[in-house]
Amino acid sequence: MPAIEVRGLTKRFGDITAVDDLSFTVGAGTVTGFLGPNGAGKTTTLRMLLGLIRPDAGTAFISGRPYRAVRDQVGASLEAVGFHPGRTARAHLRTRAMARGLDEAGIDAVLAMVDLAGDANRRTGVFSLGMKQRLGLAAALLGDPEVLILDEPANGLDPEGVKWLRGLLRGLAGQGRTIFVSSHILTEVTQTADHIVIVNRGRLIANARLADLIRGEETLEDLFLNLTRKDAAK
Amino acid sequence: MITAIRAELFKLRTTRMYYGLLGIAAGLTLLVEIVLSGRSGTTSLLPSLATAAGQRALATNTGFALLTAAVLGTIMSSGEFRHKTITDTYLDQPDRARVMLAKIVAALAGGALLGAVAAAIATMAGRMAVSMKGDTVALSGGDYTRYAAGTVLAAALLAATGCVAGSLIRSQIGAVIAVFIWSLAIEQILAGLSRSIARFLPLMGAATMAGANSRAAMPPLPDGIQPLSFATMAGILLTVLAVLAAGTAHTLNRDIT
Repeated sequence: MPAIEVRGLTKRFGDITAVDDLSFTVGAGTVTGFLGPNGAGKTTTLRMLLGLIRPDAGTAFISGRPYRAVRDQVGASLEAVGFHPGRTARAHLRTRAMARGLDEAGIDAVLAMVDLAGDANRRTGVFSLGMKQRLGLAAALLGDPEVLILDEPANGLDPEGVKWLRGLLRGLAGQGRTIFVSSHILTEVTQTADHIVIVNRGRLIANARLADLIRGEETLEDLFLNLTRKDAAK
Repeated sequence: MITAIRAELFKLRTTRMYYGLLGIAAGLTLLVEIVLSGRSGTTSLLPSLATAAGQRALATNTGFALLTAAVLGTIMSSGEFRHKTITDTYLDQPDRARVMLAKIVAALAGGALLGAVAAAIATMAGRMAVSMKGDTVALSGGDYTRYAAGTVLAAALLAATGCVAGSLIRSQIGAVIAVFIWSLAIEQILAGLSRSIARFLPLMGAATMAGANSRAAMPPLPDGIQPLSFATMAGILLTVLAVLAAGTAHTLNRDIT
């Protein structure tokens, strides 16, 4: 059974079709990059997958079931700015753990994993965007999830942070977790993902192993630009 | 459900907003208490502290705290949209009706505590003022208990109402302004048009529940308004439930983009 299965997913906002009959699967234990230009429907797809947006048609399942039925197996980070500025990092994670019915003993471990142990008692209002990304990742890692869904986790990270994120994702993938990550940083995706899903204008334009997509001298960037330009010309 | 309620109560405890609103409610109650005790007996609106009516005006001076409770509830829910934390809230608890109920329970608890603080200040400061003027306490212990219990209940209900109202209006500033406009302008206009409906209006009904009964109260109440009756309580509860139903339906269907 695929870890993630999207079938005929469609979402319209007024006259705009954000996601248009989208179908793809993500294999268990893979790191899958979810790529597309701005406005391609990536975030809308992730939010439908996580039950935050109601699709107009189609289904989006994780481990064969809707998100609400498998919540305990899934960690997600979607909003790098979604923190109460007056709450400390530790209090934020305690809130998240409580709401999920998780043991709060895991908080120190996830703070250490994202290198925020020393900032645990600082209010998130003073955090940089990169620190907020790390805190979002820490929250996603609470409960030791089998499936991680991350929306642009490298946004706001400095080069050192990007390198750190690469190592973290590789480490998590090495533990057999499924990671589905949207990103604009194609060089990063090349170094971390083994599978690629590319969407444009809400539609699927590529879904294959990275090694099968890129041939010869071509880079992921070349491939991405060629595919999206061809699709836009249709 | 218990985990959702625990999380909402924890959210309330871990922000400065709640303590700030508690301080505002306590400070305003004390300030108005000082002003009222100094002016009692000097106008027809404020009877002398030697009378039961004058002492009642002080013991039931909790209107600003009631308004603060409504603002508290509003901020509790609209703040989730302002700070974009609603995404994580629904990721953690995908059952949105459960989240709404947990927030209402937390608002009831937070509002009740706020009401209790205001009632304690109004009771103690009021009795102190009577004592300092050398007057005899004309109200019974039962009267004070009834006013305090009414304040606690009214503040809890108003916070819950504000909580649902805040989920209907995404803009936190807009939601808080709406609470003020409703409480301080629209209710006064409606009560002016028909005195009989005043006690069924959320803030005025809550004030009568807390024992207020005069134009000197906050909010100013029509002369002759009936205090703390079953009809008043039922009216407020029905208002809460009606807003709750609308708010929950709205929240359940909303896309979190």
